[in-house]
Amino acid sequence: MRGHRSFRVLAVAAALLVLATACASTQPAGGSPTTGPVKGGTLVFAIWQEPATLAPNYGNQTITGIVNAVAVEGLLRTDTDGKYQPVLAKAVPTEKNGGVKISGDGKRMDVTYELQPDIKWSDGRPFTSADVKFTWEAWMKDPKVVSREGYEQIESIDTPNDLTVLVHYKTIYSPYLTRFGTIMPKHILEKVADISASDYGRKPLGTGPFVITDFKAGDSITVERNPNYRKKGQPYLDKIIFRSVPSREVAVAQLKAGEVQGMWNLIEAQLPDLEKDANIKLSITPAPGVERIEMNTAVNKDGTDPNSVHPVLGDINLRRALIYATPKQQIIDKLLFGKARVGSSPVAQGWAAPKGLTQESYDPKKSNELLDQAGWVKGADGIRTKNGVRASITITTTTGDQLRERVEQILADEYKQIGVELKISNMPSSVLLSASWSAGDPRKRGAFDLDMYSSTPDIDPHQTVNLRYHSKQIPYPGNGGSGQNYTRFKNPEADKAIDEAGSALDLEKRAAAYAKALTLLNDAAVCIWLYERSAIQAFRTNVYGYVGQVWDGITWNTEDWYMKGTAPSY
Amino acid sequence: MNRYILRRLLQALPLLLGISVASFAILKAVPGGPLAAYEASPDINDEDIRRLEHAFGLDQPVPIQYLSWLGRFVVGDWGYSFVSHQPVLGLIGERLPNTVYLMGTVFVTVLALAIPVGVLTAVKQYSWFDHVVTGSTFGFLSTPTFWLGLLLIIFFGLQLRWLPLGGMATPGAAFDLGDRLRHLILPVATISLVQLGSHVRYLRASMLETINQDYMRTARSKGLGERIVVLRHALKNAAIPLVTVVALDIPELFAGALVTEQIFGWPGMGRLFWDAATRLDYPILMGILAVSSTLIVLANLLADVVYGYLDPRIRYA
Amino acid sequence: MAGSAIAVPLPVAPQAVQRSQWRMAYERFRAHRPAVAAVVVLGALAALSAAAPLVSPYDATKVTLAEIYERPSLAHPFGTDALGRDLATRILYGGRVSLAVGVLAVTVAVTVGTLVGTMAGYYGRWVDSVLMRFVDMMYSFPRLFLLILFGVFFKGMTFGVIILVLGLLSWMTTSRLVRASFLSLKHREFVEAARCVGARDRRIIFRHILPNSLAPIIVAATLGVAGAIIAESTLSFLGLGIQPPTPSWGNMLKDAPTEMNIAPWTAIFPGLFIFLAVVSINFIGDGLRDALDPRHVVSRRG
Repeated sequence: MRGHRSFRVLAVAAALLVLATACASTQPAGGSPTTGPVKGGTLVFAIWQEPATLAPNYGNQTITGIVNAVAVEGLLRTDTDGKYQPVLAKAVPTEKNGGVKISGDGKRMDVTYELQPDIKWSDGRPFTSADVKFTWEAWMKDPKVVSREGYEQIESIDTPNDLTVLVHYKTIYSPYLTRFGTIMPKHILEKVADISASDYGRKPLGTGPFVITDFKAGDSITVERNPNYRKKGQPYLDKIIFRSVPSREVAVAQLKAGEVQGMWNLIEAQLPDLEKDANIKLSITPAPGVERIEMNTAVNKDGTDPNSVHPVLGDINLRRALIYATPKQQIIDKLLFGKARVGSSPVAQGWAAPKGLTQESYDPKKSNELLDQAGWVKGADGIRTKNGVRASITITTTTGDQLRERVEQILADEYKQIGVELKISNMPSSVLLSASWSAGDPRKRGAFDLDMYSSTPDIDPHQTVNLRYHSKQIPYPGNGGSGQNYTRFKNPEADKAIDEAGSALDLEKRAAAYAKALTLLNDAAVCIWLYERSAIQAFRTNVYGYVGQVWDGITWNTEDWYMKGTAPSY
Repeated sequence: MNRYILRRLLQALPLLLGISVASFAILKAVPGGPLAAYEASPDINDEDIRRLEHAFGLDQPVPIQYLSWLGRFVVGDWGYSFVSHQPVLGLIGERLPNTVYLMGTVFVTVLALAIPVGVLTAVKQYSWFDHVVTGSTFGFLSTPTFWLGLLLIIFFGLQLRWLPLGGMATPGAAFDLGDRLRHLILPVATISLVQLGSHVRYLRASMLETINQDYMRTARSKGLGERIVVLRHALKNAAIPLVTVVALDIPELFAGALVTEQIFGWPGMGRLFWDAATRLDYPILMGILAVSSTLIVLANLLADVVYGYLDPRIRYA
Repeated sequence: MAGSAIAVPLPVAPQAVQRSQWRMAYERFRAHRPAVAAVVVLGALAALSAAAPLVSPYDATKVTLAEIYERPSLAHPFGTDALGRDLATRILYGGRVSLAVGVLAVTVAVTVGTLVGTMAGYYGRWVDSVLMRFVDMMYSFPRLFLLILFGVFFKGMTFGVIILVLGLLSWMTTSRLVRASFLSLKHREFVEAARCVGARDRRIIFRHILPNSLAPIIVAATLGVAGAIIAESTLSFLGLGIQPPTPSWGNMLKDAPTEMNIAPWTAIFPGLFIFLAVVSINFIGDGLRDALDPRHVVSRRG
């Protein structure tokens, strides 16, 4: 009898113990679960913009990169703190580890990539150095490729064996690490005469965790697990479906209803609603783009002479007064729900971001003082004049952007208070941002006073800083409209600093040079850095593994994503 | 009659050519170009832009651009989108069935409802039914389509959550008739209600005119039942002008309702046109304009021919 | 009959009948109750819009970030919009723009249409042929497509440009009506008589035929205003019409798809006023059609 009873007690105790352990292990603690990744499931991710193409060499939309990142990989990629990590290459080539060699007269460089062994394309064929060389050749041969930036600096590529790539550059190309971010498959594309006419634009083949299996225009893009993916046991998800929805609002509604498990690129206005929902988690990361207002210091004329002086904006005091009258923080608080940062330079993130650089903050009293001192006298209608010139300027931005239109109207109001008349004249982005002299981009042609738009520098900002702020890049009729220095900013010291930054390899030296150039830029008061937004994604709480990062889209590490709990299986 | 049709068809060709020339001229007069889409790329520099302009033939004189487009168009090469590099014919082929699916449903719905309602209100003139119908038709035809669509989404989609907020079907799911129908209801309702408004009024006015004609009195005095009188005599005659209106709706079947497709995220011709127009993607725009102007010309011809066929009083030389 | 000395009065009969016809028409219109009610409604809308500064204490364009998206209340009967501006005030000022665009666009359309229709109908033959081919071509252009292309065309859609564009895309109906009227009237006796006494073409057109063609033109013009208001609102909704900060009923709805979640009143009220104005105009047009339709005259006598 006694033995039985104690046995029963023991059994119950044991049962209780097991139960307690089981309960404990299924407690998800707010963020990461204790039980690790679960394999399987289909994640539906809502995108409110459909990519026109998925081919990495033709794509120019952000959404192209978001979708094809799950399938197409490159030699290197950036991680969450902006440093490069190897993907298909074994290591990041630098001067220190011998991956980069400066040749003879110091004017050329050679970069050596050692590739990871045993990597296969998703169709099972081996990935070799020939694919890397082919990518460069295809990029240079194809007249329709988006940009040859960097690749045109390459003299030749040697492939001594299947796992080594030796790239010979014609110059010291500082941003070399940004190249070969996507590799194209030689065995598929080498016989194709016109890649743009092939299926590559809809279903590019890659080495990534997923394979693009279906592209239903206007409906959805389906990607499935790559059986030949190099990381064993990954990806965890079976499928991801990028569902095309008509708008962000529809995506939010579907996310809240659980019809989709993630959505791309929310705006700040949608945050208050989603923050309240216990089933939804947000991923907010600072984005490198900066919304800015550029001021044209030359005369507002089509095909303007770079040496002319704008009658109103030529006065640095007036320009500074405008900056003092711009309520950046208020705009951020009211229109962006506080979820953005006040801008201070065109390079907001990364190693090149000038630390501690600021711009004049909101102080309309100072505006009035500056303008009074500079001789701009307020007239009867409240608008200032000086030497017969009325302080009346026009601001231009893209049509159909509610946020920008609201900002314009706020500025019109604020500037009126300091005696400057701001008129609004917007145009479609196909005109304003066409970046082409022949297509009539008014920024290029100098036919504007103020323009407002956003620009995102690459992780290596040289392209942006050089094109926009070097005096040799001022477009005018004489040079065929080449260059993107829309403000017509000219400062020989800044030019020197920019040239220095572009020809050195040491990141610290370059960062110091950029800081010098950008400080001089802010001193000249030709740009108003409005705000830096954040990249905001939203997921249901049963999705794990995603990590937001500054430089790549949220899909940079889909091999780590997984879902727990009920997931619809399609 | 056949000579008339032939003559009209022959006249259609220079008409369509003229339209395509005028459209191209307008497109080219618009400042800006398809390369604005590339601005977002951090890498792009001026050489790239110039190279792309050359690759797309945008640096040639405008008449040459038109003639090279025309030369390829007539042999079936409708060109490639400047933005996505997909063949224009393929893109149109992808979107056209979706638009026909939507607008076809609208077409059938409107016809099926307009005829009985129009006849009934004319027959029961001044009854409460007539007043209700008149009031609501006036109301619906006075409503901007986009506003009606938004209201329906707010009410049925957001507040009541009965119906989905957009799209053709739940993506990734297997084909389900109920799901498809649920996605059809709001966009079809939006367009149909507004069209019904005008079609019902049209038929009602036409019926009223016919019913009061002398020959109707003759038919009644022959002792025929009212229903036969109405249906066989009045409706047939009253429907003739309606046929014209309906025939002119046919191009809409293919061109789609741009604003509705925008609001409901319907992947059809209207949205394709809008995306291409905002990006100044000329090949797509020229292709769509060619399709819709041809359809309008043919539909006008069809309307005239059918009218002439049905109404013995009309004879074409 | 080149009589310069013979003073024969031109037939006055049509004029006399016209005057009493107008009065009869007016009485028929008065009998159409919805039309009369519509006149009152539309008149009120137009009056309120015209007197907007007197009616509303608020500024239609002043930005007040502290008051964005406020619900309707006593202080703001229709609430406030995305920039804290009083919605009711913007609707009043917007009414000025939308109604003006409607009326002026139709004026352009009717003027051009009448011109084209008159020449085609009166001179006939090859003039008619060429002009009608041109009308066909205009009809064959997909209208909304053209509106959008024009919207992308002009760098800033100003008031004047929109009126011109809307007018130039909708004159065809008027031209057909005028042409039909001229074709049937130009062989009537009173015209022959006028010609007999040496009246020149211009006189015949303006003093004899055109006044008798007015009825269908008036009805078409009235309904055209409704169409123009809806067209402007659609254009502005797409972002191609009247540019902010000037309010128009259409461009106040531009961001409605985004805002209807957070502030449905910004999506409902401007559309409501478009609806009221257009419905009123349609009822008035209906009343006018009943009043001016010559067939009514015939049936009364018969």
